[in-house]
Amino acid sequence: MNLRAALLLVLVVSLAAVPAHAQPGVSDTEIVLGGSNSFSGPLAFTGEQLTKFGVDLAFRVVNDAGGIHGRRVRTIWYDDGYRPQEAVANTKKLVEQDGVFAILAPQGSPPVVATLEYLEANRVPLLFPYQSSPVTRGRRYIFQGMTVSDRSSKMMIDYLAGQRKYKKFAALYQDDEYGKSFLTAFEKDLGRHGLKLAAAESVKRGVTDVSAQVAKLQAAKPEVTFLVLVPGPAAQALKERQKIGWTDTLMVSTGPLTDERYLALAGDAAEGVEGLSLWPDPVASDLPGVRRYREDMQKYFPKNEPNRYSLAGYFAGMLFTEAAKRAGRGLTRESLVATLERIKGWESGILAPLTIGPDHETQKQGFWVRVEKGRFKQLTDWLKSE
Amino acid sequence: MRRAALAIGALALLGWPWVAPSYFVFLASLIVVNAIVAIGLNLLSGYTNQLSFGHAGFLAVGAYTAAILATHWPGAPVPVTLLAAAIVTALVGLALGVPCLRLEGLYLAMATLAFGFVVVEAILNLDGLTRGNDGLRVPPARLGAWALAGDVERYYLVLLVGAVMVWAALNLARTRTGRALLAIRESEIAAQASGVHLARYRTLAFVISALYTGVAGGLFAFVVGFLSPDAFDVFLSVDFVAMIIIGGLGSVPGSVAGAAVLTVLHDSLAGLQNYRPLIFGAILIASMLFMPGGIASAARRISAMAGYPDSGPPSRPTIQGDHA
Repeated sequence: MNLRAALLLVLVVSLAAVPAHAQPGVSDTEIVLGGSNSFSGPLAFTGEQLTKFGVDLAFRVVNDAGGIHGRRVRTIWYDDGYRPQEAVANTKKLVEQDGVFAILAPQGSPPVVATLEYLEANRVPLLFPYQSSPVTRGRRYIFQGMTVSDRSSKMMIDYLAGQRKYKKFAALYQDDEYGKSFLTAFEKDLGRHGLKLAAAESVKRGVTDVSAQVAKLQAAKPEVTFLVLVPGPAAQALKERQKIGWTDTLMVSTGPLTDERYLALAGDAAEGVEGLSLWPDPVASDLPGVRRYREDMQKYFPKNEPNRYSLAGYFAGMLFTEAAKRAGRGLTRESLVATLERIKGWESGILAPLTIGPDHETQKQGFWVRVEKGRFKQLTDWLKSE
Repeated sequence: MRRAALAIGALALLGWPWVAPSYFVFLASLIVVNAIVAIGLNLLSGYTNQLSFGHAGFLAVGAYTAAILATHWPGAPVPVTLLAAAIVTALVGLALGVPCLRLEGLYLAMATLAFGFVVVEAILNLDGLTRGNDGLRVPPARLGAWALAGDVERYYLVLLVGAVMVWAALNLARTRTGRALLAIRESEIAAQASGVHLARYRTLAFVISALYTGVAGGLFAFVVGFLSPDAFDVFLSVDFVAMIIIGGLGSVPGSVAGAAVLTVLHDSLAGLQNYRPLIFGAILIASMLFMPGGIASAARRISAMAGYPDSGPPSRPTIQGDHA
């Protein structure tokens, strides 16, 4: 055997070895995932529940059952305090230093949007960001988490104008991407039913006094008033309505708003309010996936109360596990993207059967709820948003 | 001796992108951006004893000026965008500096604190230009047909601008203005008695400080690539103050050292999640207790012990407890 043959052999071996080792974040024993999230700042509670009590809960269950094709899942979380520049720094660090396989469940539009271009350009999957702006659409490596606003709007208007035959609508919305994207979608969907918004009032982010807006909306006499807000001002709007005795309108909350914190803040002013719920009740639902979530929470984090945020993180962990299992032992970023796109009718036991497809959206449906005795009571089955 | 050290330092900075992983090149750019802000803040606080908790506001003005200009004039060369950021921010500094002349100490700190909030509110309300809460994506900095789109290109841009700013700050102390500012730092009454126009120089310090922070803001916009009001909260202003206290009041090398320490600290503590603010605060308190003159004076003491008595700057040692 001469030198040339030996060199050729080395070359062939190293070429064959390249694909296996070139896949960042996947080793023989481990899959490393990570994300930048809020552990300080205004959304610290949500961030902690989503990641350390949601995603990590799902992965502890998976790891204790032998991992994904023999690989344990490890997560790395960095705090960005809701600041976009720190989200950029953390995400670069995760990708370049820690060599994560994918970014999982980051939170909030500004921090997430700040990292979109970078992740797409470097072909790193961004999985299930917890934010509702549709800017994540149309990108190969990004799979949206939360239901986007135009789908929510379609479900809400089709149900209220189609099934419940309401005719006159108004909206109280937050003056940013979240509020405006809903407003545009409402107008479009009402147009399909030959209707339009009778009145719309805006609220700046961070403002808590909404009495002037509520009074103006009352003067327009709508049958239905949408609340496109965050929990604080939304609860304030309900209390204001109770105070001025405005009873002849149905207050309806959007998907991102319909949560337990909003209910708790509004107290008895929330009674009879309706809304679109994107998640089943984490405490009371009898769905098999939600029951499993509560059992796992009880087993691994007995001191942590179940809530929507950890449920959302748990679902994100389940969905990643399902896709990584289907992609097989030779998991790559490309094969993960292809596998996620092919998911059809997957039963999570938490949400409606999921088909992802080319739109890259992993949450597309909600159901109707009414507040009765301080809890959300389910009124419909999963509504259609196609 | 000194020259050799400078040459080695310059070589290390220029060669950094060849030896360091890409992430550390990005981190180095952030350090330089923060160092420019710290130098600017130090010119105000270290030289004329005016403490500001509003420098995140100046940084935002500079960043948004550069970003809006680069968005609406896609071919704008980066010297023009940075110059625009510097001028606009300096004018804002002038507008804030004049009314603040009447304020001292805590009251001045409160006024600058309020300024930081006003800037954030202005960004939210000018959403036609700034895109408000949704945030503004910043196009890459351009030099003619060349877009500085990578971390390495941006690093060299930041490094070049940073070097110019450091050189200017070091030389400021030797100019008439610098001497006047130093005189104010030593004693306002004595300075006035020797013919230093107090109001004029205190305002000038505000303008120069804002100008520095405006340039840093322009660089910040290009390095981070995305701006939103959430980036410029009050904690960022506090970070800048912490940088100059840890680094050393009144010292340019100290400002750079403080910026480096705080940026690296923030980065390495990110993984501690909810414990980050606690540990960060503990480190700040400890460094103020055990290193009251900052890194600059600690380094001076060490080099004096090692037998290089002439290695410190010509002015007096940094301000200690007597001004606190």
